[in-house]
Amino acid sequence: MTSPPLGSLNSASMGSPFWNRLTETMPRAQLDKLHLHRVQALAHYAYENTPFYRKKFDNAGLKPSDIRSLDDLKRKVPITDKSEIIELQQQRPPYGDTLALPMDFVAHHCETSGTTGLPLAIPYSTYDSVRYGESWVYGFWGLGIRPSDTLYFAFGWGNFAGFWSAYWGARRLGCRVISGGGLDTKGHIEAILRMKPTVLISTPTFALRIAAVAAEMGVDLSKSSIKFTYHAGEPGPTALPGMREQIEKAWGAKAGELLGIAEVDAMAPGCPLGDGVHVNEMNLYSWSMDPISQDEVPDGEIGENIVTGYGNTAQPLLNYRTHDLVRRRSTCACGRTWSKLEGAVLGRTDFMVTVRGTNVYQTAVENILNKVEGISMHYELVLTHEEGNDAMTVRFEPEASIDPANWQKLASDAGDRIHKALHVRLKVVPVAPKSLPRFELKTKRIIDQRPKELRRALDR
Amino acid sequence: MDIQQQIMRIRQARELIAGALQGVDIPQIEAMLRNADMELHWALWNLGEPVALRPELEYAARADMS
Repeated sequence: MTSPPLGSLNSASMGSPFWNRLTETMPRAQLDKLHLHRVQALAHYAYENTPFYRKKFDNAGLKPSDIRSLDDLKRKVPITDKSEIIELQQQRPPYGDTLALPMDFVAHHCETSGTTGLPLAIPYSTYDSVRYGESWVYGFWGLGIRPSDTLYFAFGWGNFAGFWSAYWGARRLGCRVISGGGLDTKGHIEAILRMKPTVLISTPTFALRIAAVAAEMGVDLSKSSIKFTYHAGEPGPTALPGMREQIEKAWGAKAGELLGIAEVDAMAPGCPLGDGVHVNEMNLYSWSMDPISQDEVPDGEIGENIVTGYGNTAQPLLNYRTHDLVRRRSTCACGRTWSKLEGAVLGRTDFMVTVRGTNVYQTAVENILNKVEGISMHYELVLTHEEGNDAMTVRFEPEASIDPANWQKLASDAGDRIHKALHVRLKVVPVAPKSLPRFELKTKRIIDQRPKELRRALDR
Repeated sequence: MDIQQQIMRIRQARELIAGALQGVDIPQIEAMLRNADMELHWALWNLGEPVALRPELEYAARADMS
């Protein structure tokens, strides 16, 4: 038997379109049988090891052994919300009554970005970080990234889980990693030109910002060494097709996206077809719920994604509200049987505003703006409360090449398109190019100026 | 080798590691063996095997039985 070359997988593995063909294409009945076993194990584990879940189950008159089917999980196990965890963490920092392992096991601490309120503290054990990283690898592999690739992280590290877990994934896959660390945007560009990485890891808006600054420097990044870009942290190329077009054009690269929830998992790597993400069903079980009635929503209809994660054993979460509105389907032309979320996240239950009786979601407005030629990726949605009603104003930067005399026409065009698609008229206001703030991590799109008492809990 | 044979070999490897962990008193080697077992546990999980949530839970169950 001849040994494979050092540092690479064998040729049969390298030729696989799947990171794990066995489980990524596993028949639904077999997947669900595994889920039941794993959900039951997690329920026992959470009940026995966290005061939070013991109390939650006891208050519901439920024992872990009462979960005999996946329907029991959906109907009997109380829903968990981020606000409950944050409240407990505020009472007894850092993790409150939610920690399921001795502190010795906590190998890494992260926090959410706090874009919807107070940050959430997240403990991970070593094993949790392994599982979390593995989720990224499904996405990397599906897009075409291989161990021979070099990943450039345009990321300032800190406590943000998103790209720490991407790093864990890169280590699992065996890629070379280059950290952009605390470099400024120009520094990232110079490092990319000097080190010639093949994959850019960043938030999607930061990828566009790097490309814009490069253009100002006279550098065309579409001719750089980058072959792939991979994104997370905010709506990206899957949720916003217009953004895919801009990123792929600016970088001359194939763009991928992963839907993650910091406290759960890098839970849904992008489908290679680019029109959705597949739930990593080795790391979690998920289903769609009507956010009001809390009943299950069938495949094909929009509902809130509810997840039960097997990967975060330091802070287990069962029936956890993501506040992401998704449309799920069970088949995909790519061959994966893992639940597909079309277009990734279609909207947020907590980033919805009702304007004159119409529910308006952030992502819906963003998708429309992305289609208007001449409107740049720099815009914000300002929420106010006027005469007893919520209102939304869209403030956007026209592309620098647009004559200021035509800015108002762009605004009218965008306003008309929003009216046609969403049946509501929003104020659309052009502002000068480069006048809106720029962000390295999550871009703050929602500027909520409504009185605090009129906002949903997580928006306060 | 088919999947079932792979699963059997991985289970055997874990048994061998469990044996090697008995009485180990070199922290570096104990950490390495635990990491190796964690990877094999993860391999079984990703081959669709109904293993425990964490390997330590299996160690505890094993200790209870002995």
